[in-house]
Amino acid sequence: MRAGGFWTDARVERLLGGVACIVLALIAGMIAFVFQKAWPSFAHNGLAWFGGGGDVDLQLEDIFNSPADPAHYVYTLHAWPLLWGTFVVTVGAVLVGMVFALLSAIFIVEFAPQRINRVLEPVVRLLAAVPSVVYGLIGILVIVPFVGEHLISLDRKESVANVVQLDGAGLGVGVLILTVMIVPIMIAIVVDALRAVPHGWREGAAALGANRWRVMWTISVRTARPAIVAAAVLATARALGEAIMLSMVAGSASFAPNPIDGITFLFEPTRPLASALVENVEGLSVVPFGQTLFAFAAVLLVSSMLLSLAGFAAKQPMRKYGVRP
Amino acid sequence: MNRNRPLAIAAALAVAASLALAATASAATITMSGSTSIAPLATLLAKAFVKQPQYKGKVKFVILQGGSDIGITDVSRGRVSLGMSSRDPKPADPGGIVFNKIARDAVCVVTNASNPIATLSQTQIQDIFSGRIRSWSQVPGASASGPIDLVVRTAASGTQDAFQNIFMGQTLRVAASATTKASNGLQAQTIKSDPNAIGYASFSFTKGLHDVPYQGVPCTLRNAKSGQYAGTRNFFLVSRGAAKGVAKEFINFVRSNPTALRIVASDWVPLH
Repeated sequence: MRAGGFWTDARVERLLGGVACIVLALIAGMIAFVFQKAWPSFAHNGLAWFGGGGDVDLQLEDIFNSPADPAHYVYTLHAWPLLWGTFVVTVGAVLVGMVFALLSAIFIVEFAPQRINRVLEPVVRLLAAVPSVVYGLIGILVIVPFVGEHLISLDRKESVANVVQLDGAGLGVGVLILTVMIVPIMIAIVVDALRAVPHGWREGAAALGANRWRVMWTISVRTARPAIVAAAVLATARALGEAIMLSMVAGSASFAPNPIDGITFLFEPTRPLASALVENVEGLSVVPFGQTLFAFAAVLLVSSMLLSLAGFAAKQPMRKYGVRP
Repeated sequence: MNRNRPLAIAAALAVAASLALAATASAATITMSGSTSIAPLATLLAKAFVKQPQYKGKVKFVILQGGSDIGITDVSRGRVSLGMSSRDPKPADPGGIVFNKIARDAVCVVTNASNPIATLSQTQIQDIFSGRIRSWSQVPGASASGPIDLVVRTAASGTQDAFQNIFMGQTLRVAASATTKASNGLQAQTIKSDPNAIGYASFSFTKGLHDVPYQGVPCTLRNAKSGQYAGTRNFFLVSRGAAKGVAKEFINFVRSNPTALRIVASDWVPLH
């Protein structure tokens, strides 16, 4: 009997190598394509693209209504509210999620009785697979009306009525639901990392008289720090790309929520980049508008590439200890 | 299950390919894409068209949606035979395409059902949507109190374009504080759940909301057909160059055949 038959190692190697090269070429081609399409928008605005000033929705409308002559295309865009919205929503959700994920992971690994774990772990993994539009529906049908009717007082609405509308959908609801969406992935990663900490280390600490919580906190969590960072990075990547759910519950106004406003800050609407992209995709046929949308895509693409690099860097110290997350 | 997936996809592709082959072999195919507002009408018209004795078994339809601008892009690139557009032509549209008007559609100003305003004039609508009036207490006949929440559509929406042209005119703009929604459904849901909201929608999307009479004329199909209700917009089938072949015959059918006109009149406004 021949080992492998037609599929000799050399043939398989060449075939798989070819497939891998196609993947690389696809990614490179995609990046080149997006940047080539996006270039006019960046070129016309320069660094002001990333700055503030004016209302983004009106600027987008002007771009959409550009005259037919390519020499007179409108490109003016100051995308700061979108960038700020993306930043606040993402960082908010990842920070809140981190606390919940870390504590739940410690519970699952160290404290939960076996029979609870048998239910808890599959449920966590199931939650990670729920499509975001389901969360969006729950948000828009239940949470947004509740917040609008019971949590936002008429005085609060009137105090900002000349600048922005508070109708229930806003930053707070967006962060809340996004947190629920990304926590399961974080829990799964942190649990795996905590379990990968060598038993000897934990037993050593226990032998010195530390209780389970102290062992967990001083040995396991400390060792798993790189994995915790990696979990945060992965969750950030998911949060960054979340479009549909946020466009449903985060208020759909290109407004930059202002932390100085106190509690009102949480109710102010915002629109992250990915949502702005998906909400305006109808207008792709208008050339300058399409190029502006590609500019959004380019910014998202660069951000997620930087995140992947950060995640890769964060995992390195773990390898050094011989612990693989 | 994972193992079977490639197989299932391959099978589906094979079925689709053979269907497509069968279709091209025996019948001409009209493909359409574009406005979600027109799609229901186009589907009904296509069903009636293929039942006509001279086209029975000879013409097939594939109708996709995606929004007016998707339809216009698709047809200008030759990906579909006809694009559906619920907005008027724009200067920046691709060259070489022809907008064929097939029907009209009423655009209603809508509020939450708990806020049944008796009438709004064009000036009042302009004041409200441009942000000059920001409180319901300044609107006579409103039962809501507190600030007005504007719920509108994104720039690329055909309905937004129609609202701008019909109610706002060329110079006024919707206030920057307005919430802009990406679809008819999201917009309707937001207005339903917010007693202070006001927005606009195509006649067929206003169920569960209060249609505000415009200049004293209720936003009904009858008033739109008689021409009393002024807030109407055009529906177009867009072709690449002048329409040719079965696509042209379909447009003629929609415009002049009695059956087609009856279908249009059921929920929309015929041209004549």
